[in-house]
Amino acid sequence: MLNTSYVGRSLPTTEPVVITADSVSRFARALGLPGDAAVPPTYLVSLTMPAADPLIADPEFGLDWSRVLHRDQRFVYHRELRAGTEVALTPTVESIKTVAGNDLLTIHTEVADAEGLAAEVWTTLFVAGDPA
Amino acid sequence: MTFADLAPGDAVFTAAFPVSREHLAAYADASGDHNPIHLDEAAAKAAGLPDVIAHGMFTMGLVSRAVLEWIDGAGIDARLTEFSARFAKPVVVPAETGAIVEVEAKVRKADDDSVELALTAYSGGEKVLVPSRATLTRS
Repeated sequence: MLNTSYVGRSLPTTEPVVITADSVSRFARALGLPGDAAVPPTYLVSLTMPAADPLIADPEFGLDWSRVLHRDQRFVYHRELRAGTEVALTPTVESIKTVAGNDLLTIHTEVADAEGLAAEVWTTLFVAGDPA
Repeated sequence: MTFADLAPGDAVFTAAFPVSREHLAAYADASGDHNPIHLDEAAAKAAGLPDVIAHGMFTMGLVSRAVLEWIDGAGIDARLTEFSARFAKPVVVPAETGAIVEVEAKVRKADDDSVELALTAYSGGEKVLVPSRATLTRS
């Protein structure tokens, strides 16, 4: 079971990360998209998942990655991101809902560039409970 | 075409993409998600799965590609402002045959400035991504 006292808690904002042209083009090509400067709609997960690593590594939180399934994903894009942009990410434990002994964990990550909030990403993970 | 031409319930496009183990390996490298259930049959079976499964985010990426190709082909000057999906069932990718992901899009809401699509992805006769929504806003 997850530690529900973490709901509402944010991790420290990451160091700035550059959306490199190389990473954008590799991500785009892996999906069969043109590898130009446009950042693919789902690219941001390659930044938000590492940004949440401190939560996975935190034994007090109790997240066992081997019991996790990805259940929902949502992106809101406030403006278009281009390769070369530098962003910083702030993940927050938005909610933990317990359903039949399993947890649904939603992490909301704010993605900010030099002008402010550029995108928001929500990832909901199904975390299987202990077998009865 | 303008968004005003679209009405709720209109079917706007379908698309189909083959998925192979090589696609999953390339996506693992590009995304940094190296979970072995997407790469290795033994690891997938140990996790209780019938075979290797695609990353949910790979399938969602294919859905985004279908949307972007539709915008491009229809000559619509719009950008994606919101995109969501629920991973309802896994996309099973056998080594020999691979899999096919089919995407179907209908209009959910439309006005002069934006359209919201209701998207469904199918594979192996199952709905694998549902519901999925994409909002396009005129540039």
